[in-house]
Amino acid sequence: MSKSKASGPSSYEVLFIVANNYTEEEAKTIVSKVEAIISENGGNITYREFWGKKKLAYVIKQNHYGYYSLCEFNAKRETIAKLDRTLRLSHEVLRHQIISIKAVSDEERAKIKEKQEQSAVKNEKKEEKTGKEKFQKVMTSKNEKTEKNDSNKADLKDLDEKLEGILNNTQDLL
Amino acid sequence: MNNKKHKDCFFCVNQMDVDYKDVRTLRRFVNFYMKILPGDRTGICAWHQRKLTQAIKRARVMALLAPTHK
Repeated sequence: MSKSKASGPSSYEVLFIVANNYTEEEAKTIVSKVEAIISENGGNITYREFWGKKKLAYVIKQNHYGYYSLCEFNAKRETIAKLDRTLRLSHEVLRHQIISIKAVSDEERAKIKEKQEQSAVKNEKKEEKTGKEKFQKVMTSKNEKTEKNDSNKADLKDLDEKLEGILNNTQDLL
Repeated sequence: MNNKKHKDCFFCVNQMDVDYKDVRTLRRFVNFYMKILPGDRTGICAWHQRKLTQAIKRARVMALLAPTHK
């Protein structure tokens, strides 16, 4: 890929996480604020996506959850600098990442998503299959032991779910 | 001689681009400890392996992928 010229606009994508101490509606207004920054500074938004509340892979500033939002746009470098600065200073946005992308049409995007979905489903089926085979092998060799292990695992899962629920509630209270 | 079995590149075969937001695909190229698998384990071509490591690191920054296991 050739380097973009200093003055010409090119395609970028920003993904950011809004903190969990807002409701979904409030989070959406924050998202529209960010979009306003882009369009006010001469950017042209081509695509937006709101992922909703998602669990973070690790805790960021005592937040276990966050609202993810994605936005694709064409803009000049100065706009990017400004957006980056405002997002970095904002308390509402936990994390953000601006990367340059190849511009894609809606049709192409749909195709890409379909492919990703297909490959993911295939992989999950495969894992399920190998998992089942492994389980059967163990079953045939040690029948009693597997049953015990299984019940233990189920208990752990229940506990995990309960813990998550409690954490969620306390976060809402805070 | 290279004794390892030659594998086809996942992204070349499926004609997919590496995307840091597609966690389900990235997940298959990290091990239990969430470490990035080397190219000879993933079977990905060098060009895509470079894109993949970049994507996994980006996903970690955005808390889409864990940097380590629990």
